[in-house]
Amino acid sequence: MTLAVRRSSSPSLWVGLGLVGLVVVTALASFLWTPHDPTLVDAAQRLRGPGTDYVFGTDKFGRDLFSQVMVGARTTLFVGVVAVGVAALIGTPLGVFAAMAPKWLGEFVMRVNDLVLAFPALLLAIVFGAVFGADTLTAMIAIGIASVPSFARIARSGALGVMSTEYVLAARSAGRSRTAIAVRHVLPNIAGLVIVQSSVSFAIAVLSEAALSFLGFGTRPPTPSWGRMLQESQELLAVEPRLALVPGVAIAIAVLGFNLLGDGLRDRYDPRLEVRR
Amino acid sequence: MKRISLFLAALLVAGCSAGSTASAPRDPNAITIGFSAEPANFDFTRTDGTAIPQALLYNVYEGLVKLDENGQVKPLLAESWRVSPDRLSYEFSLRANASFSNGSPFTADNVKFSIERVKTTWGISQKSKMDVVSRVEVLAPTKVRVTLSRPSNNWLFDMTTRVGAMFSPDGVADLPNNPVGTGPYDVAARNRGSSITLKANPRYWGPKPAYETVYLRYFKDSTALNNALLSNGIDVVSAVAAPDSMPQFENDTRFNVTQGITNGEVVLSFNGRKAPLNDVRVRRALTQGIDRRVLLDTAWAGRGELIGSMVPRTDPWYTDLTGVNAYNPENAKKLLAEAGQQNLNLRLRIPNLPYAVTSAQVVKSELNKIGVGVSIEPLDFPAVWLKSVFTEHDFDMSIIQHVEPRDITTFGNTKYYWGYDSPKVRRLLAEGDRGSPEQQVTAMREVAATLADDAAACWLFLFPNLIAAKKKVGGLPLNQISEAFDLTILRRAGS
Amino acid sequence: MTVQILRRALIFVVSALVASVAVFGLLAVLPGDPAQVALGVSATPELLAKTRQEFGIDRPLATQYFEWIGGVFSGDFGNSYVTREPIGPQLVDRLGVTMWLVGAGMLVALLIALPAGVFAAVRHRRASGSVISGLSQLGVAVPGFVAAIILVQVFAVQLRWLPAGGWTPPIVDPLDFLSGLLLPALSLGLVQGAVLTRYVRSSVIDVLREDYLRTARAKGLTPYRALLRHGLRNASVPVVTVLGLQLATLLIGAVVIERVFVIPGLGSMLLDAVSNRDLLTVQGIVLVLVLAVLLVNFVVDVLYTVLNPRLRQAS
Repeated sequence: MTLAVRRSSSPSLWVGLGLVGLVVVTALASFLWTPHDPTLVDAAQRLRGPGTDYVFGTDKFGRDLFSQVMVGARTTLFVGVVAVGVAALIGTPLGVFAAMAPKWLGEFVMRVNDLVLAFPALLLAIVFGAVFGADTLTAMIAIGIASVPSFARIARSGALGVMSTEYVLAARSAGRSRTAIAVRHVLPNIAGLVIVQSSVSFAIAVLSEAALSFLGFGTRPPTPSWGRMLQESQELLAVEPRLALVPGVAIAIAVLGFNLLGDGLRDRYDPRLEVRR
Repeated sequence: MKRISLFLAALLVAGCSAGSTASAPRDPNAITIGFSAEPANFDFTRTDGTAIPQALLYNVYEGLVKLDENGQVKPLLAESWRVSPDRLSYEFSLRANASFSNGSPFTADNVKFSIERVKTTWGISQKSKMDVVSRVEVLAPTKVRVTLSRPSNNWLFDMTTRVGAMFSPDGVADLPNNPVGTGPYDVAARNRGSSITLKANPRYWGPKPAYETVYLRYFKDSTALNNALLSNGIDVVSAVAAPDSMPQFENDTRFNVTQGITNGEVVLSFNGRKAPLNDVRVRRALTQGIDRRVLLDTAWAGRGELIGSMVPRTDPWYTDLTGVNAYNPENAKKLLAEAGQQNLNLRLRIPNLPYAVTSAQVVKSELNKIGVGVSIEPLDFPAVWLKSVFTEHDFDMSIIQHVEPRDITTFGNTKYYWGYDSPKVRRLLAEGDRGSPEQQVTAMREVAATLADDAAACWLFLFPNLIAAKKKVGGLPLNQISEAFDLTILRRAGS
Repeated sequence: MTVQILRRALIFVVSALVASVAVFGLLAVLPGDPAQVALGVSATPELLAKTRQEFGIDRPLATQYFEWIGGVFSGDFGNSYVTREPIGPQLVDRLGVTMWLVGAGMLVALLIALPAGVFAAVRHRRASGSVISGLSQLGVAVPGFVAAIILVQVFAVQLRWLPAGGWTPPIVDPLDFLSGLLLPALSLGLVQGAVLTRYVRSSVIDVLREDYLRTARAKGLTPYRALLRHGLRNASVPVVTVLGLQLATLLIGAVVIERVFVIPGLGSMLLDAVSNRDLLTVQGIVLVLVLAVLLVNFVVDVLYTVLNPRLRQAS
């Protein structure tokens, strides 16, 4: 089976790539340069409006909003990478294993998988936060674990498809080991599916971090995080709506970017679409 | 099966007993007041925390005496009292016409019962305030004599707090759910997670309160509390916990605002039990490294007062100590160098409460400037903070608002979480408690000055009393220095 | 089909039991001594020991588990460590509130997604269809609590049309109940509606491509009529599945929304219990939430079996 490359350019893909690229470049740039120290408290610059010196103005601590957004992009990417990393690294092998193992074992693995699905990400993160102390990493591992089932499902159904193709059947009859088949044939062929799911899960992780930081279970102060910036902006919402607008738009850009990227990639990689349209 | 159908029936009437709250504003005899911390139950004799006395003291329960908003001890169930020349015995004359909400009359026997019950049955730390009482004698139905084992100025003051509340032997069977007191209000309903309804007690001995019905509504989120008033959902915000939003109320003709003081000292506490914070030079350096004016201006919108020690302005021994260990970052660096602590990294473990989270970020920024690394760890409050910081002393620095009246005495308790141990302070505290009121003032002044000089802690600011209310509500307290939110002083505007 | 459903039921029961062990195990390691929390700051060691005994947390974990789960079967979730009152009745009460909220949120989502999704599908090659798709993409990218904050600011604080928060039970005052429910339901439903719109759109597009619909349209029916007559049942299969998944999302989304609107539902109960380290209450709430999700999944599976014509024929 070859991956169907359906259309060379889809608008979702390019817009998604553009938005995600913006977030990534911002995050990388923040390592080299920010206009101001994002955590430096300066009473004299308190609640300044947008201007040349402070592009988006300052918050109630006199901290530069633009610098915070820049460093916040790092937090957002970190969050996504950890959560998606945990989910993909556990979920994908699990799904492939379930597809290739004896039927009863595969079935059992998927039942356990379904059970994990019953623990919603946010609930798991709140409980993990209570158990291990609330911070970004704990929250993201929880989100990651909660996203394992979707990867396992995708990987399993993809792997089942690959397993029934002629060349895999040929490889099996030639006496190749299961591991070899999994590495040589199955994983490369489901990579596209996993990447699509990663993009979607990334968006979910970003939203979850925002909600958790809002509830106080996420990123610790003063590390800039878009979710915490939103939470801190609340009391000033009526007077200084920009304090909420800036991180709100940032979150929307990241989530929109990863969702569009996922859609675009799906259009390219999803074999079902090839049949359908 | 029957159980399941019962369960379903309960679900269908969905939250019928949970929180009916929105109908208050239509009744002219009712008032709705918003608070942030909800009582877990009604039993402050066994459950710690400030939420229960805030709702019940002076409103449902009364003591012999009460604290007014200027910090003066005033008569309540006692009409008057006489102190013996050796200041060991107090003879109280009681009101003859007071009675409990269950109908039982209030007499001297109740005083004996209540005070002794603190010593025998209460389960919270404040019970130790009654340790000094050696004997309670009923002289007549309206006369009672309390004898102390040593003279104590603090005892009468403490009688204005929850430990002084009067109970009836036939009213203590179910304290968590059914409080029985002599106060102007009686608990009529409670909706866990949202509100408590108080109704005027028809048997009350004193003047009828201005509002027949009082709804106490609880909002865990400070913005939600503000929004409730802004959208006409409640009449009063008892304490604005998002000070940057005050202009919203001040610039709106619908509202009155008051800004006074509380006795809540927001303290950056140092763990004096271990190095390097057992070194006075390090504590002084940290204190001098923080510009507390900047902190107050940014973290709490400049609302509140700077204090240099553990004394609010309403205490008789207040002096301005803000000049002691004042902001001086250069000297702070010098002190750190002297102490050999140029590469200091400290854990700031704070409760996850708004004032602590905002203050901590300023503390970190300020201390970074003098080369001290700070990592902020917000802990769930109350559970985790109480366990690991307060009880197990696992912290370098913390930030907490100390709200108990006259809590300067905690510096005499070497087991307290800040582990401050100064024989001089302990001696002065004991002298102050024993001596005449004048001697007390002198001794306590010296305690405050010693603490400030020692940098026993860093006093960030005194928490302001910020109240916002509809114009129709009058009599709002300027200061909030007792444990109670006193409903009896509320009036209708213009009357 | 009956065999299918029975099999699903069995899986549901086993999953529920395993989940209860997982919930218990996870929370058994929670730091913070419940006895310490209940007693406050100056509890004596003797009092602590006594309270631990009273709570039954000095016994082996297995004993604690069986006693707990045995009680749960008869609706007894134990007594809260903090309020010392039975947890069961509280749970039922709070769950009731949350279910109103989730139900109303779902209704909002459906009211948005069905018309918008069908419209976008029928016109998916035209600009108006693309606009709907684009809007739904945007809607998915906005966190629910941000929608909530904005709605409160506009409709409660500025316009003062609706309350900013609070809860009135329907029996006490139906009008207050509805006006209080509107903003939270909108906050929950807008975002879910955006998600759902995309699924409705894609499944309707699929159905529109089927031969029988082409035939119906060739006979002169408008696309909407053709869909109404022939296609809705088929389009509903994937939508019902997503709806089930979304119910779970709504249940958890309600945790955040309840905080913003100060609604005394299961979510605020959970957050309070967590910050009080009211272990047994947290345990009860998490169990109820997980069971609710499992139950929804079970029902969706059953519906899927019933609705899907291919599966029906197979059995």
